[in-house]
Amino acid sequence: MQTPPLLHIMADQHCWLSPQRCMFWEEKKLLVLSDLHWGKTGHFRKNGIAVPTEIAKEDLHRLTQQITHFNPEQIIIVGDMFHSRANRELDQWLRWRNDFSSLAFTLIKGNHDILANVWYEEAKIQVFNNQWLLPPFTFVHDAADVVSAGEEENITISGHLHPGVAVTGKGKQSLRFPCFYFARPHFYLPAFSYFSGMAMVQPKKSQEVFAIVNDAVMKI
Amino acid sequence: MSSDVDLGTKIIESWLQKTGRTPFAFQQSTWKLISESGCGLVNAPTGCGKTYAVFLGTLIRWINQHPEDYSTLKNTGLQLIWITPLRALAKDIARAMEEVIASLDLHWKVGIRNGDSTPKERAAQKKQLPEVLIITPESLHLLFTHADHEKMANSLQVIAVDEWHELLGNKRGVQTELAIARLITAARKENHQPMVWGISATIGNLVQAMEVLLYPTGKEGHLVKADLPKNISVHSIFPDDLEEYPWSGHLGIRMAEKMLPVIEASNTTLIFINTRGMSEIWFQTLLHKAPHLAGILALHHGSIEPALRLWVEEALHSGKLKAVVCTSSLDLGVDFRPVDTVIQVGSPKGVARFMQRAGRSGHSPHETSRIYFLPTNTLELLEVAALKTAIEQSAVESKEPMVLCFDVLLQYCCTIAAGQGFNPAELLAEISSTHCFSSISQEEWNDVIFLLTRGGKALQQYDEFEKLQERDGRIYCSNRRMILRHRLHIGTIVSDAMLKVKTTGGKYMGVIEEWFISKLLPGDVFTLAGRNLELIGVKDMTALVKLSNQKKSIIPSWMGGRMSLSANLGALLRKTFNKVLIDESEPEIAALHLLMEQQQTLSHIPRENELLIEHIRSKEGYHLLVYPFEGRQVHEALSALLAYRIGKILPISFSISMNDYGFELLSDQPIPVDEENIYSLFSTENLLGDIQISVNSTEMARRKFRDIAVIGGLIFQGMPGEAKKARHLQSSASLLFNVLQNYDPENILLRQAYQEVMLEQMEEVRLREALNRIQTNPIKICYPEKLTPLSFPIIADGLNRNNLSTEKLEDRVKKMQIQLRK
Repeated sequence: MQTPPLLHIMADQHCWLSPQRCMFWEEKKLLVLSDLHWGKTGHFRKNGIAVPTEIAKEDLHRLTQQITHFNPEQIIIVGDMFHSRANRELDQWLRWRNDFSSLAFTLIKGNHDILANVWYEEAKIQVFNNQWLLPPFTFVHDAADVVSAGEEENITISGHLHPGVAVTGKGKQSLRFPCFYFARPHFYLPAFSYFSGMAMVQPKKSQEVFAIVNDAVMKI
Repeated sequence: MSSDVDLGTKIIESWLQKTGRTPFAFQQSTWKLISESGCGLVNAPTGCGKTYAVFLGTLIRWINQHPEDYSTLKNTGLQLIWITPLRALAKDIARAMEEVIASLDLHWKVGIRNGDSTPKERAAQKKQLPEVLIITPESLHLLFTHADHEKMANSLQVIAVDEWHELLGNKRGVQTELAIARLITAARKENHQPMVWGISATIGNLVQAMEVLLYPTGKEGHLVKADLPKNISVHSIFPDDLEEYPWSGHLGIRMAEKMLPVIEASNTTLIFINTRGMSEIWFQTLLHKAPHLAGILALHHGSIEPALRLWVEEALHSGKLKAVVCTSSLDLGVDFRPVDTVIQVGSPKGVARFMQRAGRSGHSPHETSRIYFLPTNTLELLEVAALKTAIEQSAVESKEPMVLCFDVLLQYCCTIAAGQGFNPAELLAEISSTHCFSSISQEEWNDVIFLLTRGGKALQQYDEFEKLQERDGRIYCSNRRMILRHRLHIGTIVSDAMLKVKTTGGKYMGVIEEWFISKLLPGDVFTLAGRNLELIGVKDMTALVKLSNQKKSIIPSWMGGRMSLSANLGALLRKTFNKVLIDESEPEIAALHLLMEQQQTLSHIPRENELLIEHIRSKEGYHLLVYPFEGRQVHEALSALLAYRIGKILPISFSISMNDYGFELLSDQPIPVDEENIYSLFSTENLLGDIQISVNSTEMARRKFRDIAVIGGLIFQGMPGEAKKARHLQSSASLLFNVLQNYDPENILLRQAYQEVMLEQMEEVRLREALNRIQTNPIKICYPEKLTPLSFPIIADGLNRNNLSTEKLEDRVKKMQIQLRK
């Protein structure tokens, strides 16, 4: 059973944090996700490392589900949408794209996005090379690269980090989960793809962490 | 000498006589067996001429085959392959062989092939193979990636495997088995069969060791024993005041001063430390306490720059050094004549290792080896008492051969595919001739082939998968890039990704684990090879540093090589407890009097057939301590089993910790174990099912999978100094484990990870024995008010934390959050 997303209000905006590792910005009807790494499993197979095909299919299936659930007008991917160069998984993605032809896609390029510009054009994906300002948010792949244009108040929404958090308890217990990580003014999204690792963050008191525990988002 | 002695033996024996030596009986029997085309295993301690047994035997046979022209024949092709586990040994063995060849006026050449061989040497060997090739298992496999490698078997007479006890029981041994099968198969095509000879130190299962090695020959072997008595004298270095609690881990360093008189009184001393990190600390401490040792005290471990290590070895030979602080890096290898004393710091974990290290001093057959034991934990004194008994009874451990290592098999298939390619049925026949793969089923072989050619199982094609291709019934690798990458990754020793450490001036200092450097910031100072280095930055798998004068530095703790107490030593240790507080004639047991009295008062002394269990409450939570004295590996299995069975009584989460003496289950709630249910918790009923579930719920298989994934070619490690070319191909073993678990649970490498846990740690027979022992013996449950001497080391620094929980994940997180807020 799917538990509902968790409401998180930033700069008076209603952001719904989904246990499926993405965020819905209600006011603008925007679905934001990061580090999809589409084509990664195919790239591995091409290099002789047998990774099952199902994992990519499930990523796409989850994305479809989220689109149906939130019914967004636009999807923003804050980088690392495609893992490497062209392979057959990219063709699959294009076919999937056709089913949602009315939906606008925007990509803020990440370090893995190395496809030729013409490819994105044909796929009808709007591309920003560095960042995209949509007050009160600035979308960027790596928060370290953000160029502030005097709008100090802006919150950056980024990926790249693949944040994870360790929850510890009595009796030396420790568990690790992917998480949304809010270190004002930076809001980090978890990596959307199931075929991705985690970088553990050590949140300070003033920061907020939302862990994805099975099918629920829990504030830590 | 009688007149019916053959020509070869005559020549060799008269040469020995001229140099003032008489052959040992075991050498003569080996020569005779080789001349009769026999196979076998020579068991002799180092320094007793085991090399001569097999090498001279090969020479004698060859001279007898060429009685007319043996002194003029040149370039007769490869006669003897000498497989050695250690690169460092190759040079000295080659030197010894060349000496014989030169004084006999033969025209044999001796070649060395390993990672250090220059391209020039390789090219010369490709043109004309030497008569003797000294090679590591990895380099031999590397030769198999060349399409014309089979021709090396054409003239091959003897395949010798040196230090077989070091290879058996691990995956390098499997690699060796495969290499022997390949050479024999190739020779058979030319209608001849090379002999196989192993050389091994004493282990518990010598006959089995021989059978495994000789398996591909299909012949009965001959076990040739040197039977040279070896005297070992063992002394403990006692701390002045034995406090109530056993100090743990690195606190043994406080006894550094006690070590100095031993060093002073000896000619040259080897100081064995169990880990590289601790060896750095000991080196610095000794220099600090005895500054006059500067220049004559050296450090030797696996992460130190090879040139420096070589210098230390040379200086040891020539007697320039007073002492060397070392790790297992000096366990093997040629003997250093000047060494007359060995100090072992901390538990050696096994009888064989202790005897081997002792043997590094006073090595000639009739000398006595002297070893001092310096405990890092007072309880280790009991181990010394047990070790003394073990040496008396020469109760040396066995090395269990590994079976069905699919990761090594996948690597081997790629190796052959990269060279001449293979026909699956033919290769199956070849690999089934090894002991390791003798029981492989056609179905498992099909899985291997499908995994390599299609990425998945039968009837399933992974999209765009490219590794090996099938053409006209043969399987090849046609992708040059992939072949190159495969060559770089041949091997079964998996270490963490390593970085080269270089100064800004370009001087190479050694290697260090990537994860250690990743925790440092530029400007941080760390210690390597006894020097303090400041990190400047990391570039292309190289850490740039400069020398630092700063006193404070971070000592890296290298992962790897943490040994588990052997079953042998465990059993002897349990027996030793019978003497505690009763028979204190052994100084080690007497020294522990106060400590054991404390244990007795607070809890209980576990006698040989008893199982002691302690419930202790602390601010951390509820501890349940169990002391089976079976070694860390078995404790890992037992603790998971017990945790799982308690978890069936009520939802509960455990953090599990263990050492060689016992294990601890720690929980945030009371642990329901008492006299009523204890025997059923340790019952053998439904053992297999319960084990399987408890393995699944802990990280054991995941840890095993890491090495398997690297060996099986699922993960490419960066090479030190190499730019990260395969950046887009990086993933962690843990991630792959999750993915396969969820989407391809039948994957053959995943299955192997579970198999290895079951075989190595959860060996059903051994577990059953342990449980039966517990069932039929008294169990003593105590409720000490505070930590007992036995519990302290486990709770304070037990290794390998596992987790096992039967609570719901969401509930656990909620509970943890409430605890945090309190």
